[in-house]
Amino acid sequence: MTVAVAETWVEEPLRRFVDEARVLFALLIHPSGQVLGQHGFTRAVDVMSASALAAAIHASGSAIGKEMESAPFGELHHGGAARQIFLARTPTPRGDLVLLSVFDRSSSVGLVRVYFEELRGALAAAAPAAAPSPGLAATFEQELNRSLAALFGRAEPVGQPVPDA
Amino acid sequence: MTGPYQGALASVARQRGILGAMVVDANDDIIVDAAVRHGVKAPTVAALAASIYRKARQSAGAAGLGDTTFLRMEAEQGHIFAAGRGALVLIALAESTVNVGLVRLAMLQAASGLP
Amino acid sequence: MSDEVRRLSEELARDPGSLVFLQLGETLRRRGQLDLALRVSLRGLERHSTNGDAHDLVARIRADRGELDRALEAWDAVLRLVPTHLGALKGKGFVLYTQGRWQEAERVLLEAAARDGGDASIAAALAHVRREADQAGASGTDDTDDASRGSPAEEARTLFAEALGDGEMTALLIDADGLVMAGVYPTADGDDVSQEIGAELCGVSDEVQRAMRHLALGRWTRIAFETDAATVAMAPAPEGGLVLVAADPALPHGLVRRVLDRCGDRAAAWLETAGARS
Repeated sequence: MTVAVAETWVEEPLRRFVDEARVLFALLIHPSGQVLGQHGFTRAVDVMSASALAAAIHASGSAIGKEMESAPFGELHHGGAARQIFLARTPTPRGDLVLLSVFDRSSSVGLVRVYFEELRGALAAAAPAAAPSPGLAATFEQELNRSLAALFGRAEPVGQPVPDA
Repeated sequence: MTGPYQGALASVARQRGILGAMVVDANDDIIVDAAVRHGVKAPTVAALAASIYRKARQSAGAAGLGDTTFLRMEAEQGHIFAAGRGALVLIALAESTVNVGLVRLAMLQAASGLP
Repeated sequence: MSDEVRRLSEELARDPGSLVFLQLGETLRRRGQLDLALRVSLRGLERHSTNGDAHDLVARIRADRGELDRALEAWDAVLRLVPTHLGALKGKGFVLYTQGRWQEAERVLLEAAARDGGDASIAAALAHVRREADQAGASGTDDTDDASRGSPAEEARTLFAEALGDGEMTALLIDADGLVMAGVYPTADGDDVSQEIGAELCGVSDEVQRAMRHLALGRWTRIAFETDAATVAMAPAPEGGLVLVAADPALPHGLVRRVLDRCGDRAAAWLETAGARS
Protein backbone atom coordinates (compact mmCIF):
# COMPACT_ATOMS: atom_id res chain seq x y z
CA MET A 1 0.00 0.00 0.00
CA THR A 2 1.25 3.46 -0.84
CA VAL A 3 1.18 6.16 1.75
CA ALA A 4 2.53 9.65 1.22
CA VAL A 5 3.79 11.52 4.23
CA ALA A 6 4.79 15.05 5.07
CA GLU A 7 6.59 13.84 8.22
CA THR A 8 8.51 10.59 8.10
CA TRP A 9 7.67 9.39 11.62
CA VAL A 10 4.04 8.77 10.67
CA GLU A 11 4.91 6.65 7.64
CA GLU A 12 5.29 3.20 9.21
CA PRO A 13 2.32 3.43 11.62
CA LEU A 14 0.08 4.78 8.86
CA ARG A 15 1.21 2.21 6.32
CA ARG A 16 0.51 -0.57 8.79
CA PHE A 17 -2.92 0.81 9.57
CA VAL A 18 -3.79 1.04 5.88
CA ASP A 19 -2.52 -2.48 5.21
CA GLU A 20 -4.26 -4.11 8.13
CA ALA A 21 -7.53 -2.21 8.26
CA ARG A 22 -7.85 -2.30 4.45
CA VAL A 23 -9.23 1.20 4.21
CA LEU A 24 -9.65 2.91 0.86
CA PHE A 25 -8.57 6.34 2.03
CA ALA A 26 -6.72 7.54 5.10
CA LEU A 27 -5.80 11.05 6.05
CA LEU A 28 -3.81 11.93 9.14
CA ILE A 29 -3.96 15.61 9.95
CA HIS A 30 -3.21 18.04 12.68
CA PRO A 31 -6.34 19.93 13.75
CA SER A 32 -4.63 23.00 12.33
CA GLY A 33 -5.01 21.52 8.88
CA GLN A 34 -1.45 20.32 8.47
CA VAL A 35 -1.55 17.01 6.63
CA LEU A 36 0.93 14.51 8.02
CA GLY A 37 0.15 11.58 5.76
CA GLN A 38 -2.39 10.17 3.36
CA HIS A 39 -3.33 7.06 1.43
CA GLY A 40 -5.66 6.77 -1.53
CA PHE A 41 -5.87 10.35 -2.72
CA THR A 42 -4.36 11.14 -6.10
CA ARG A 43 -5.01 14.88 -6.34
CA ALA A 44 -3.87 17.61 -4.02
CA VAL A 45 -7.21 19.34 -4.33
CA ASP A 46 -8.99 16.26 -2.90
CA VAL A 47 -6.60 16.12 0.03
CA MET A 48 -7.17 19.79 0.58
CA SER A 49 -10.93 19.54 0.70
CA ALA A 50 -10.92 16.30 2.73
CA SER A 51 -8.54 17.72 5.33
CA ALA A 52 -10.54 20.93 5.58
CA LEU A 53 -13.75 18.94 6.07
CA ALA A 54 -12.14 16.54 8.54
CA ALA A 55 -10.76 19.43 10.56
CA ALA A 56 -14.16 21.08 10.56
CA ILE A 57 -16.01 17.89 11.55
CA HIS A 58 -13.48 17.27 14.28
CA ALA A 59 -13.81 20.82 15.56
CA SER A 60 -17.61 20.72 15.60
CA GLY A 61 -17.64 17.20 17.09
CA SER A 62 -15.30 18.33 19.82
CA ALA A 63 -17.48 21.35 20.54
CA ILE A 64 -20.68 19.28 20.68
CA GLY A 65 -18.95 16.69 22.86
CA LYS A 66 -17.80 19.33 25.28
CA GLU A 67 -21.27 20.77 25.35
CA MET A 68 -23.00 17.45 25.97
CA GLU A 69 -20.46 15.32 27.83
CA SER A 70 -17.98 17.88 29.08
CA ALA A 71 -15.38 16.22 26.86
CA PRO A 72 -14.77 16.13 23.10
CA PHE A 73 -16.10 13.09 21.25
CA GLY A 74 -13.30 10.62 20.63
CA GLU A 75 -14.53 9.12 17.41
CA LEU A 76 -17.22 9.41 14.79
CA HIS A 77 -18.54 6.75 12.45
CA HIS A 78 -20.85 7.34 9.53
CA GLY A 79 -22.15 4.31 7.62
CA GLY A 80 -23.07 5.03 4.02
CA ALA A 81 -24.63 2.68 1.48
CA ALA A 82 -21.34 1.57 -0.03
CA ARG A 83 -18.67 3.42 1.91
CA GLN A 84 -18.24 4.36 5.53
CA ILE A 85 -16.29 7.07 7.32
CA PHE A 86 -14.40 6.71 10.56
CA LEU A 87 -12.96 9.87 12.09
CA ALA A 88 -11.09 9.80 15.37
CA ARG A 89 -8.73 11.79 17.49
CA THR A 90 -5.39 10.38 18.57
CA PRO A 91 -3.24 12.05 21.22
CA THR A 92 0.53 12.13 20.64
CA PRO A 93 3.42 14.01 22.26
CA ARG A 94 3.06 16.38 19.29
CA GLY A 95 -0.50 17.13 20.33
CA ASP A 96 -3.78 15.65 19.14
CA LEU A 97 -3.96 14.37 15.58
CA VAL A 98 -7.07 13.44 13.62
CA LEU A 99 -7.46 10.38 11.44
CA LEU A 100 -10.05 10.30 8.70
CA SER A 101 -10.52 6.93 7.03
CA VAL A 102 -12.93 5.67 4.41
CA PHE A 103 -13.64 2.00 3.92
CA ASP A 104 -16.07 -0.29 2.15
CA ARG A 105 -17.40 -3.79 2.75
CA SER A 106 -13.97 -5.35 2.58
CA SER A 107 -13.47 -3.93 6.06
CA SER A 108 -15.74 -2.97 8.95
CA VAL A 109 -15.96 -0.38 11.66
CA GLY A 110 -15.03 -3.04 14.21
CA LEU A 111 -11.83 -3.86 12.36
CA VAL A 112 -10.99 -0.22 11.71
CA ARG A 113 -11.37 0.46 15.43
CA VAL A 114 -9.06 -2.44 16.32
CA TYR A 115 -6.35 -1.21 13.98
CA PHE A 116 -6.93 2.40 14.94
CA GLU A 117 -6.09 1.46 18.54
CA GLU A 118 -2.85 0.01 17.25
CA LEU A 119 -2.20 3.15 15.22
CA ARG A 120 -2.72 5.31 18.30
CA GLY A 121 -0.10 3.37 20.20
CA ALA A 122 2.35 3.40 17.30
CA LEU A 123 1.96 7.13 16.70
CA ALA A 124 2.37 7.92 20.37
CA ALA A 125 5.56 5.87 20.45
CA ALA A 126 6.98 7.24 17.19
CA ALA A 127 6.18 10.93 17.67
CA PRO A 128 9.15 13.20 18.18
CA ALA A 129 9.24 15.63 21.11
CA ALA A 130 6.39 18.07 21.41
CA ALA A 131 6.39 21.02 19.03
CA PRO A 132 4.49 24.21 19.74
CA SER A 133 0.92 23.84 18.58
CA PRO A 134 0.08 26.13 15.71
CA GLY A 135 -3.01 28.27 16.07
CA LEU A 136 -5.96 26.85 14.18
CA ALA A 137 -7.48 29.67 12.19
CA ALA A 138 -4.47 31.86 11.56
CA THR A 139 -2.16 29.30 9.97
CA PHE A 140 -4.65 26.78 8.60
CA GLU A 141 -4.17 27.56 4.90
CA GLN A 142 -0.44 28.04 5.17
CA GLU A 143 0.02 24.70 6.98
CA LEU A 144 -2.22 22.94 4.53
CA ASN A 145 -0.35 24.23 1.50
CA ARG A 146 3.02 23.35 2.99
CA SER A 147 1.98 19.79 3.79
CA LEU A 148 0.35 19.30 0.40
CA ALA A 149 3.59 20.30 -1.28
CA ALA A 150 5.42 17.65 0.72
CA LEU A 151 2.79 15.00 0.10
CA PHE A 152 2.78 15.44 -3.65
CA GLY A 153 6.53 15.60 -4.09
CA ARG A 154 7.09 19.32 -4.37
CA ALA A 155 8.97 19.45 -1.04
CA GLU A 156 10.88 16.95 1.12
CA PRO A 157 8.96 15.40 4.03
CA VAL A 158 10.00 16.72 7.41
CA GLY A 159 12.54 14.37 8.96
CA GLN A 160 13.86 13.19 5.59
CA PRO A 161 17.69 13.32 5.35
CA VAL A 162 18.81 15.90 2.78
CA PRO A 163 20.81 14.22 0.02
CA ASP A 164 24.42 15.36 -0.51
CA ALA A 165 24.85 17.88 -3.30
CA MET B 1 -27.36 -12.57 33.68
CA THR B 2 -30.15 -10.86 31.78
CA GLY B 3 -30.78 -9.73 28.23
CA PRO B 4 -31.77 -11.51 25.05
CA TYR B 5 -28.33 -12.95 24.33
CA GLN B 6 -27.25 -14.03 27.79
CA GLY B 7 -28.80 -17.47 27.53
CA ALA B 8 -26.88 -18.25 24.34
CA LEU B 9 -23.67 -16.79 25.73
CA ALA B 10 -23.97 -18.68 29.00
CA SER B 11 -24.55 -22.01 27.28
CA VAL B 12 -21.30 -21.60 25.35
CA ALA B 13 -19.26 -19.92 28.09
CA ARG B 14 -19.97 -22.75 30.53
CA GLN B 15 -18.11 -25.27 28.35
CA ARG B 16 -14.75 -26.28 29.76
CA GLY B 17 -11.85 -24.36 28.17
CA ILE B 18 -13.93 -21.48 26.85
CA LEU B 19 -12.30 -18.11 27.51
CA GLY B 20 -15.08 -15.98 26.15
CA ALA B 21 -18.25 -15.93 24.10
CA MET B 22 -19.56 -12.95 22.15
CA VAL B 23 -22.53 -12.08 20.02
CA VAL B 24 -21.26 -9.84 17.25
CA ASP B 25 -22.92 -7.76 14.55
CA ALA B 26 -22.03 -9.60 11.32
CA ASN B 27 -21.75 -6.43 9.25
CA ASP B 28 -19.92 -4.10 11.61
CA ASP B 29 -17.91 -6.68 13.61
CA ILE B 30 -18.92 -4.89 16.79
CA ILE B 31 -19.89 -6.69 19.99
CA VAL B 32 -23.59 -6.80 20.76
CA ASP B 33 -23.18 -8.72 24.01
CA ALA B 34 -20.40 -10.76 25.57
CA ALA B 35 -19.39 -13.02 28.42
CA VAL B 36 -15.61 -13.13 28.62
CA ARG B 37 -12.98 -13.93 31.20
CA HIS B 38 -10.78 -11.19 32.57
CA GLY B 39 -7.88 -10.40 30.26
CA VAL B 40 -9.60 -11.30 26.99
CA LYS B 41 -9.53 -8.39 24.53
CA ALA B 42 -13.12 -8.92 23.52
CA PRO B 43 -13.42 -6.16 20.86
CA THR B 44 -10.28 -7.40 19.11
CA VAL B 45 -11.30 -11.05 19.18
CA ALA B 46 -14.82 -10.18 18.09
CA ALA B 47 -13.76 -7.99 15.17
CA LEU B 48 -11.10 -10.36 13.85
CA ALA B 49 -13.10 -13.55 14.29
CA ALA B 50 -16.24 -12.06 12.76
CA SER B 51 -14.16 -10.80 9.89
CA ILE B 52 -12.75 -14.28 9.25
CA TYR B 53 -16.26 -15.70 9.37
CA ARG B 54 -17.53 -13.07 6.94
CA LYS B 55 -14.66 -13.79 4.55
CA ALA B 56 -15.37 -17.52 4.74
CA ARG B 57 -19.02 -16.83 4.05
CA GLN B 58 -18.24 -14.60 1.07
CA SER B 59 -15.65 -16.98 -0.34
CA ALA B 60 -17.83 -20.06 0.06
CA GLY B 61 -20.73 -18.21 -1.57
CA ALA B 62 -18.55 -17.09 -4.47
CA ALA B 63 -17.26 -20.64 -4.86
CA GLY B 64 -20.82 -21.94 -5.10
CA LEU B 65 -20.71 -23.83 -1.81
CA GLY B 66 -23.79 -22.16 -0.34
CA ASP B 67 -24.19 -20.55 3.04
CA THR B 68 -21.61 -20.99 5.79
CA THR B 69 -23.01 -22.12 9.12
CA PHE B 70 -20.00 -22.83 11.30
CA LEU B 71 -16.29 -22.06 11.34
CA ARG B 72 -13.50 -23.39 13.48
CA MET B 73 -9.95 -22.13 13.49
CA GLU B 74 -7.22 -23.99 15.31
CA ALA B 75 -3.99 -22.32 16.34
CA GLU B 76 -1.02 -23.42 18.43
CA GLN B 77 -2.44 -21.85 21.57
CA GLY B 78 -6.17 -21.89 21.15
CA HIS B 79 -9.26 -22.08 19.03
CA ILE B 80 -11.74 -19.64 17.58
CA PHE B 81 -15.27 -20.76 16.80
CA ALA B 82 -17.95 -18.86 14.91
CA ALA B 83 -21.55 -19.71 14.12
CA GLY B 84 -23.77 -17.34 12.19
CA ARG B 85 -27.45 -16.59 12.29
CA GLY B 86 -28.81 -13.78 10.18
CA ALA B 87 -27.07 -10.53 10.96
CA LEU B 88 -25.38 -11.94 14.07
CA VAL B 89 -22.37 -14.15 14.65
CA LEU B 90 -21.72 -16.06 17.82
CA ILE B 91 -17.99 -16.14 18.51
CA ALA B 92 -16.08 -18.17 21.06
CA LEU B 93 -12.43 -18.10 22.08
CA ALA B 94 -11.12 -21.29 23.64
CA GLU B 95 -8.01 -22.89 25.03
CA SER B 96 -6.27 -25.45 22.85
CA THR B 97 -7.37 -28.30 25.15
CA VAL B 98 -11.06 -27.64 24.56
CA ASN B 99 -13.41 -30.43 23.46
CA VAL B 100 -14.06 -29.28 19.89
CA GLY B 101 -17.06 -31.53 19.36
CA LEU B 102 -18.88 -30.34 22.46
CA VAL B 103 -18.21 -26.68 21.73
CA ARG B 104 -19.40 -27.10 18.16
CA LEU B 105 -22.69 -28.57 19.32
CA ALA B 106 -23.15 -25.89 21.96
CA MET B 107 -22.38 -23.14 19.46
CA LEU B 108 -24.75 -24.43 16.80
CA GLN B 109 -27.52 -24.86 19.34
CA ALA B 110 -26.94 -21.43 20.85
CA ALA B 111 -26.72 -19.75 17.44
CA SER B 112 -30.00 -21.30 16.33
CA GLY B 113 -31.66 -19.77 19.38
CA LEU B 114 -30.38 -16.24 18.81
CA PRO B 115 -33.26 -13.78 18.54
CA MET C 1 -17.14 -29.19 -34.93
CA SER C 2 -16.68 -32.31 -37.07
CA ASP C 3 -19.54 -33.66 -39.15
CA GLU C 4 -19.71 -36.73 -36.97
CA VAL C 5 -19.97 -34.73 -33.74
CA ARG C 6 -22.52 -32.38 -35.30
CA ARG C 7 -24.63 -35.28 -36.56
CA LEU C 8 -24.58 -37.04 -33.20
CA SER C 9 -25.26 -33.80 -31.32
CA GLU C 10 -28.27 -33.05 -33.53
CA GLU C 11 -29.54 -36.57 -33.09
CA LEU C 12 -29.21 -36.27 -29.32
CA ALA C 13 -30.95 -32.89 -29.38
CA ARG C 14 -33.86 -34.42 -31.30
CA ASP C 15 -34.13 -37.33 -28.91
CA PRO C 16 -32.45 -36.56 -25.55
CA GLY C 17 -33.58 -39.90 -24.17
CA SER C 18 -31.74 -41.96 -26.79
CA LEU C 19 -28.48 -43.85 -26.26
CA VAL C 20 -26.70 -41.80 -28.90
CA PHE C 21 -24.89 -39.97 -26.09
CA LEU C 22 -22.70 -43.07 -25.81
CA GLN C 23 -21.38 -42.57 -29.35
CA LEU C 24 -21.12 -38.82 -28.97
CA GLY C 25 -19.28 -39.09 -25.64
CA GLU C 26 -16.88 -41.69 -27.04
CA THR C 27 -16.22 -39.61 -30.17
CA LEU C 28 -15.47 -36.56 -28.06
CA ARG C 29 -13.24 -38.60 -25.77
CA ARG C 30 -11.21 -39.87 -28.70
CA ARG C 31 -10.88 -36.33 -30.01
CA GLY C 32 -9.47 -35.28 -26.62
CA GLN C 33 -12.44 -33.04 -25.74
CA LEU C 34 -12.61 -34.56 -22.30
CA ASP C 35 -14.60 -31.87 -20.49
CA LEU C 36 -17.31 -31.90 -23.11
CA ALA C 37 -17.23 -35.68 -23.29
CA LEU C 38 -17.72 -35.90 -19.54
CA ARG C 39 -20.62 -33.45 -19.57
CA VAL C 40 -22.37 -35.38 -22.33
CA SER C 41 -21.82 -38.72 -20.64
CA LEU C 42 -22.93 -37.53 -17.19
CA ARG C 43 -26.06 -36.04 -18.67
CA GLY C 44 -26.75 -39.33 -20.43
CA LEU C 45 -26.06 -41.21 -17.23
CA GLU C 46 -28.75 -39.21 -15.45
CA ARG C 47 -31.33 -40.74 -17.83
CA HIS C 48 -29.73 -44.18 -18.05
CA SER C 49 -28.34 -44.80 -14.60
CA THR C 50 -28.63 -48.59 -14.92
CA ASN C 51 -26.80 -48.73 -18.23
CA GLY C 52 -23.40 -50.35 -17.73
CA ASP C 53 -21.98 -48.87 -20.94
CA ALA C 54 -22.86 -45.38 -19.75
CA HIS C 55 -20.89 -45.91 -16.53
CA ASP C 56 -18.08 -47.46 -18.60
CA LEU C 57 -17.92 -44.37 -20.79
CA VAL C 58 -17.72 -42.11 -17.74
CA ALA C 59 -14.97 -44.29 -16.32
CA ARG C 60 -12.87 -44.12 -19.49
CA ILE C 61 -13.21 -40.34 -19.63
CA ARG C 62 -12.29 -40.07 -15.95
CA ALA C 63 -9.25 -42.25 -16.56
CA ASP C 64 -8.19 -40.03 -19.47
CA ARG C 65 -8.54 -37.01 -17.19
CA GLY C 66 -6.27 -38.66 -14.64
CA GLU C 67 -9.12 -38.99 -12.13
CA LEU C 68 -8.21 -42.54 -11.38
CA ASP C 69 -10.17 -43.05 -8.17
CA ARG C 70 -13.31 -41.73 -9.82
CA ALA C 71 -12.66 -43.96 -12.82
CA LEU C 72 -12.42 -46.92 -10.46
CA GLU C 73 -15.71 -45.93 -8.83
CA ALA C 74 -17.40 -45.78 -12.22
CA TRP C 75 -16.02 -49.18 -13.27
CA ASP C 76 -17.12 -50.65 -9.97
CA ALA C 77 -20.60 -49.33 -10.79
CA VAL C 78 -20.44 -51.09 -14.16
CA LEU C 79 -19.44 -54.36 -12.55
CA ARG C 80 -22.25 -54.12 -10.02
CA LEU C 81 -24.67 -53.83 -12.96
CA VAL C 82 -22.87 -56.18 -15.38
CA PRO C 83 -20.37 -58.38 -13.52
CA THR C 84 -19.02 -59.80 -16.79
CA HIS C 85 -18.36 -56.41 -18.45
CA LEU C 86 -14.99 -56.96 -20.11
CA GLY C 87 -14.26 -53.29 -20.70
CA ALA C 88 -14.78 -52.51 -17.03
CA LEU C 89 -12.50 -55.36 -15.93
CA LYS C 90 -9.76 -54.24 -18.30
CA GLY C 91 -10.15 -50.61 -17.32
CA LYS C 92 -10.11 -51.40 -13.63
CA GLY C 93 -7.04 -53.56 -14.11
CA PHE C 94 -5.32 -50.69 -15.91
CA VAL C 95 -6.06 -48.19 -13.13
CA LEU C 96 -4.93 -50.58 -10.40
CA TYR C 97 -1.76 -51.22 -12.38
CA THR C 98 -1.16 -47.47 -12.75
CA GLN C 99 -1.60 -47.07 -9.01
CA GLY C 100 0.95 -49.78 -8.33
CA ARG C 101 -1.63 -52.09 -6.79
CA TRP C 102 -0.15 -55.10 -8.54
CA GLN C 103 -1.97 -57.89 -6.76
CA GLU C 104 -5.37 -56.33 -7.21
CA ALA C 105 -4.57 -55.54 -10.85
CA GLU C 106 -3.53 -59.12 -11.46
CA ARG C 107 -6.69 -60.46 -9.84
CA VAL C 108 -8.94 -58.27 -11.98
CA LEU C 109 -7.06 -59.03 -15.18
CA LEU C 110 -7.20 -62.76 -14.45
CA GLU C 111 -10.94 -62.42 -14.16
CA ALA C 112 -10.99 -60.60 -17.49
CA ALA C 113 -8.88 -63.33 -19.07
CA ALA C 114 -11.32 -65.93 -17.76
CA ARG C 115 -14.12 -64.09 -19.61
CA ASP C 116 -12.17 -63.79 -22.85
CA GLY C 117 -9.03 -65.87 -23.02
CA GLY C 118 -8.43 -64.89 -26.63
CA ASP C 119 -7.99 -61.21 -25.94
CA ALA C 120 -4.32 -60.52 -26.62
CA SER C 121 -4.41 -57.16 -24.83
CA ILE C 122 -5.44 -58.82 -21.57
CA ALA C 123 -2.66 -61.40 -21.82
CA ALA C 124 -0.12 -58.63 -22.52
CA ALA C 125 -1.40 -56.55 -19.60
CA LEU C 126 -1.22 -59.56 -17.28
CA ALA C 127 2.37 -60.27 -18.28
CA HIS C 128 3.26 -56.64 -17.71
CA VAL C 129 1.64 -56.54 -14.28
CA ARG C 130 3.41 -59.72 -13.20
CA ARG C 131 6.78 -58.39 -14.41
CA GLU C 132 6.29 -55.14 -12.50
CA ALA C 133 5.11 -57.01 -9.41
CA ASP C 134 8.23 -59.21 -9.51
CA GLN C 135 10.51 -56.18 -9.85
CA ALA C 136 8.74 -54.36 -7.05
CA GLY C 137 9.02 -57.44 -4.87
CA ALA C 138 12.73 -57.76 -5.64
CA SER C 139 13.45 -54.15 -4.78
CA GLY C 140 11.26 -54.27 -1.70
CA THR C 141 8.96 -51.53 -2.99
CA ASP C 142 5.69 -53.34 -3.10
CA ASP C 143 3.54 -50.26 -3.07
CA THR C 144 5.04 -48.20 -5.84
CA ASP C 145 4.09 -44.54 -5.73
CA ASP C 146 1.78 -43.96 -8.67
CA ALA C 147 2.63 -40.27 -8.73
CA SER C 148 6.18 -41.07 -9.73
CA ARG C 149 4.97 -42.77 -12.88
CA GLY C 150 2.94 -40.15 -14.71
CA SER C 151 3.71 -36.87 -16.41
CA PRO C 152 4.27 -33.88 -14.12
CA ALA C 153 0.78 -32.60 -14.90
CA GLU C 154 -0.82 -35.94 -14.12
CA GLU C 155 1.34 -36.31 -11.05
CA ALA C 156 0.07 -32.95 -9.80
CA ARG C 157 -3.55 -33.74 -10.60
CA THR C 158 -3.52 -37.06 -8.82
CA LEU C 159 -1.29 -36.01 -5.93
CA PHE C 160 -3.97 -36.52 -3.29
CA ALA C 161 -5.76 -39.52 -4.83
CA GLU C 162 -4.35 -41.98 -2.34
CA ALA C 163 -4.81 -39.71 0.67
CA LEU C 164 -8.43 -39.01 -0.25
CA GLY C 165 -9.35 -42.64 -0.73
CA ASP C 166 -12.81 -43.42 -2.01
CA GLY C 167 -14.72 -40.85 0.07
CA GLU C 168 -16.60 -37.91 -1.32
CA MET C 169 -13.66 -35.57 -0.95
CA THR C 170 -11.36 -33.53 -3.07
CA ALA C 171 -8.14 -31.68 -2.29
CA LEU C 172 -6.05 -28.85 -3.68
CA LEU C 173 -2.58 -27.48 -3.04
CA ILE C 174 -2.58 -23.73 -3.56
CA ASP C 175 0.54 -21.59 -3.69
CA ALA C 176 1.13 -18.29 -1.91
CA ASP C 177 -0.36 -16.40 -4.87
CA GLY C 178 -3.63 -18.33 -4.80
CA LEU C 179 -2.76 -20.49 -7.80
CA VAL C 180 -3.50 -24.21 -7.80
CA MET C 181 -0.37 -26.35 -7.87
CA ALA C 182 -1.89 -29.79 -7.45
CA GLY C 183 -5.20 -31.59 -7.12
CA VAL C 184 -8.52 -31.22 -8.91
CA TYR C 185 -11.92 -29.85 -7.93
CA PRO C 186 -14.51 -31.34 -10.27
CA THR C 187 -18.14 -30.24 -10.31
CA ALA C 188 -21.04 -32.61 -10.71
CA ASP C 189 -20.91 -31.75 -14.42
CA GLY C 190 -17.32 -32.85 -14.59
CA ASP C 191 -15.81 -29.38 -14.98
CA ASP C 192 -12.59 -28.76 -13.12
CA VAL C 193 -13.14 -25.56 -11.15
CA SER C 194 -10.05 -25.85 -8.99
CA GLN C 195 -8.59 -22.47 -10.04
CA GLU C 196 -11.83 -20.66 -9.23
CA ILE C 197 -12.33 -22.46 -5.92
CA GLY C 198 -8.68 -22.06 -4.98
CA ALA C 199 -8.67 -18.34 -5.72
CA GLU C 200 -11.85 -17.73 -3.74
CA LEU C 201 -11.09 -19.85 -0.71
CA CYS C 202 -7.45 -18.91 -0.21
CA GLY C 203 -8.70 -15.43 0.73
CA VAL C 204 -9.89 -16.95 4.00
CA SER C 205 -6.35 -17.87 4.95
CA ASP C 206 -5.19 -14.31 4.19
CA GLU C 207 -7.80 -13.10 6.63
CA VAL C 208 -6.65 -15.60 9.23
CA GLN C 209 -3.03 -14.66 8.69
CA ARG C 210 -3.87 -11.04 9.43
CA ALA C 211 -5.89 -11.92 12.52
CA MET C 212 -3.17 -14.12 14.00
CA ARG C 213 -0.90 -11.13 14.46
CA HIS C 214 -3.33 -9.73 17.01
CA LEU C 215 -4.90 -12.76 18.66
CA ALA C 216 -1.87 -14.05 20.59
CA LEU C 217 -2.71 -17.63 19.72
CA GLY C 218 0.51 -18.57 17.96
CA ARG C 219 0.49 -19.86 14.38
CA TRP C 220 -2.75 -21.13 12.91
CA THR C 221 -2.77 -24.83 12.12
CA ARG C 222 -6.18 -25.56 10.61
CA ILE C 223 -9.41 -23.86 9.61
CA ALA C 224 -12.61 -25.68 8.85
CA PHE C 225 -15.92 -24.24 7.85
CA GLU C 226 -19.20 -25.91 7.19
CA THR C 227 -21.35 -24.83 4.27
CA ASP C 228 -24.56 -26.12 2.71
CA ALA C 229 -22.62 -28.03 0.05
CA ALA C 230 -19.36 -29.01 1.71
CA THR C 231 -17.13 -29.07 4.71
CA VAL C 232 -14.00 -27.15 3.76
CA ALA C 233 -10.81 -27.64 5.74
CA MET C 234 -7.54 -25.84 5.17
CA ALA C 235 -4.04 -25.97 6.59
CA PRO C 236 -0.89 -24.04 5.85
CA ALA C 237 1.54 -25.70 3.44
CA PRO C 238 5.25 -25.01 2.93
CA GLU C 239 6.36 -21.87 1.09
CA GLY C 240 3.30 -19.88 2.12
CA GLY C 241 0.93 -22.27 0.40
CA LEU C 242 -2.30 -23.84 1.51
CA VAL C 243 -3.78 -27.33 1.44
CA LEU C 244 -7.54 -27.42 1.06
CA VAL C 245 -9.89 -30.37 1.40
CA ALA C 246 -13.56 -30.15 0.52
CA ALA C 247 -15.76 -32.98 1.70
CA ASP C 248 -19.36 -34.04 1.61
CA PRO C 249 -21.01 -32.31 4.59
CA ALA C 250 -22.30 -35.66 5.80
CA LEU C 251 -18.78 -37.01 6.38
CA PRO C 252 -17.54 -37.00 9.98
CA HIS C 253 -15.47 -33.90 10.74
CA GLY C 254 -12.77 -35.93 12.44
CA LEU C 255 -12.28 -37.89 9.23
CA VAL C 256 -12.01 -34.70 7.21
CA ARG C 257 -9.37 -33.44 9.62
CA ARG C 258 -7.36 -36.64 9.30
CA VAL C 259 -7.56 -36.49 5.52
CA LEU C 260 -6.45 -32.85 5.64
CA ASP C 261 -3.41 -33.86 7.69
CA ARG C 262 -2.60 -36.67 5.27
CA CYS C 263 -2.91 -34.32 2.30
CA GLY C 264 -0.70 -31.81 4.10
CA ASP C 265 2.00 -34.43 4.58
CA ARG C 266 1.67 -35.49 0.95
CA ALA C 267 1.94 -31.89 -0.27
CA ALA C 268 4.99 -31.21 1.90
CA ALA C 269 6.75 -34.31 0.58
CA TRP C 270 5.85 -33.46 -3.00
CA LEU C 271 7.08 -29.88 -2.69
CA GLU C 272 10.31 -31.12 -1.16
CA THR C 273 10.81 -33.58 -4.02
CA ALA C 274 9.95 -30.93 -6.57
CA GLY C 275 12.42 -28.58 -4.90
CA ALA C 276 15.13 -31.22 -4.99
CA ARG C 277 14.43 -31.88 -8.67
CA SER C 278 14.63 -28.24 -9.68
